[in-house]
Amino acid sequence: MNILGGEFLGFLNLNWQAAAMLVISGVLMWLGIARKVEPVLLVPIGAGCMLANIPLGGAAEPGGFLAILREAGIHTEIFPLLIFIGVGAMIDFEPFLQRPYTILLGAAAQFGIFGTFFLAYLLGDGWLHILDFSLQDAASIGIIGSADGPTSIFVSTTLQSKYTAAIVVAAYSYMAMVPIIQPPIIKAMCSKEERALKMPIVAGTISQRTKILFPIITVLVVGLICPKATPLIGCLMFGNLLRECGAVESLSRTAQNEMVNIVTILLGITVGGMMAGTEFLRPETILVFVMGVVAFSLDTVAGVLLGKLMCRLSGRKINPMIGACGISAFPMSARVVNRLGLEANPYNHLLMPAAGANTAGQIASVVAGGVMLMLVPMFA
Amino acid sequence: MLNALWVVLLGMAIIFAVLGVLLLVMTFLDRLVRPKEKKEER
Repeated sequence: MNILGGEFLGFLNLNWQAAAMLVISGVLMWLGIARKVEPVLLVPIGAGCMLANIPLGGAAEPGGFLAILREAGIHTEIFPLLIFIGVGAMIDFEPFLQRPYTILLGAAAQFGIFGTFFLAYLLGDGWLHILDFSLQDAASIGIIGSADGPTSIFVSTTLQSKYTAAIVVAAYSYMAMVPIIQPPIIKAMCSKEERALKMPIVAGTISQRTKILFPIITVLVVGLICPKATPLIGCLMFGNLLRECGAVESLSRTAQNEMVNIVTILLGITVGGMMAGTEFLRPETILVFVMGVVAFSLDTVAGVLLGKLMCRLSGRKINPMIGACGISAFPMSARVVNRLGLEANPYNHLLMPAAGANTAGQIASVVAGGVMLMLVPMFA
Repeated sequence: MLNALWVVLLGMAIIFAVLGVLLLVMTFLDRLVRPKEKKEER
């Protein structure tokens, strides 16, 4: 028996990559537990990362439980879709339905996805060849700009990107960092006068019939024009139908709570299990994280630019800041914009219109994911 | 590089087209089933 040779004692097989990843796993868990940064995700991801990097543990090796979860939940794209049912059941689209024009802000804010995709491809196989980024990798990196974990997982897995783990971790990390990334950009683009602009209140509520028809119509419109987005938009809107139809309260509650919690645990620990040191610690991984900031920033810039245009066209009835909420990242960016509005004018409550643009961004980011899945194979 | 540029241009065009159609449909739907008391006030 070769004990000292490392077949028995794990630490004898500890290379620098595994050691570094164990430290990173500790940081992720610390961020989640001590700093309360996306704890629901970072704690399972940190735990999975720790398990995957224990030498000879075999958790992430073929046949290990993390590898089995990866095959069953990530490669089949089941986990992100199940999460989307839960997300759909949690989202109230009423603020969006009160101001349906905010869907255009959601559309504009998806420019971050495509701008980052273009930049990543130029750095990779497209022109400079500095990094190992294929067209599929670049598209998967760009999708970080959807500010939406399940969409990022779905697209990067479907396109078989080498950087799925880094992309998913970046997507979830930057969602938590929206309150840090967005305010300086918004303040640089909008004067105090613009930030203080109040928006008219929309009186009355949306009828139950509209709320029930909305998810069905959205699936039909998006699915028939952009079929690759059907699984994502279908699951999101199915969850919302459970919520709004009023006939299946128990299913709605289960989707919002038990199901989404179970899948989040499994998804988190599986994503963490994909962070094996030898695969994760590459220069490209760092660039993926840098690109994530670029994507979120471009999203914000594009959304605010259209917000400014709509502000002018509407006779200053629309606060341009709500364009930043088209980024998705629900509900963080709506809270950011509401806070900035209150800072500029203590009576300026923008939460509802911002939440409308935010939920519109959720739909737009799913469509953007479907568009990427449609176009990239055509041009690859 | 040109293929990536096409993805960007077509991608944004398709997103605006899909969501524009959705906006039109939702506006029409809202008018069709709008609650009687709903009106916009300043």
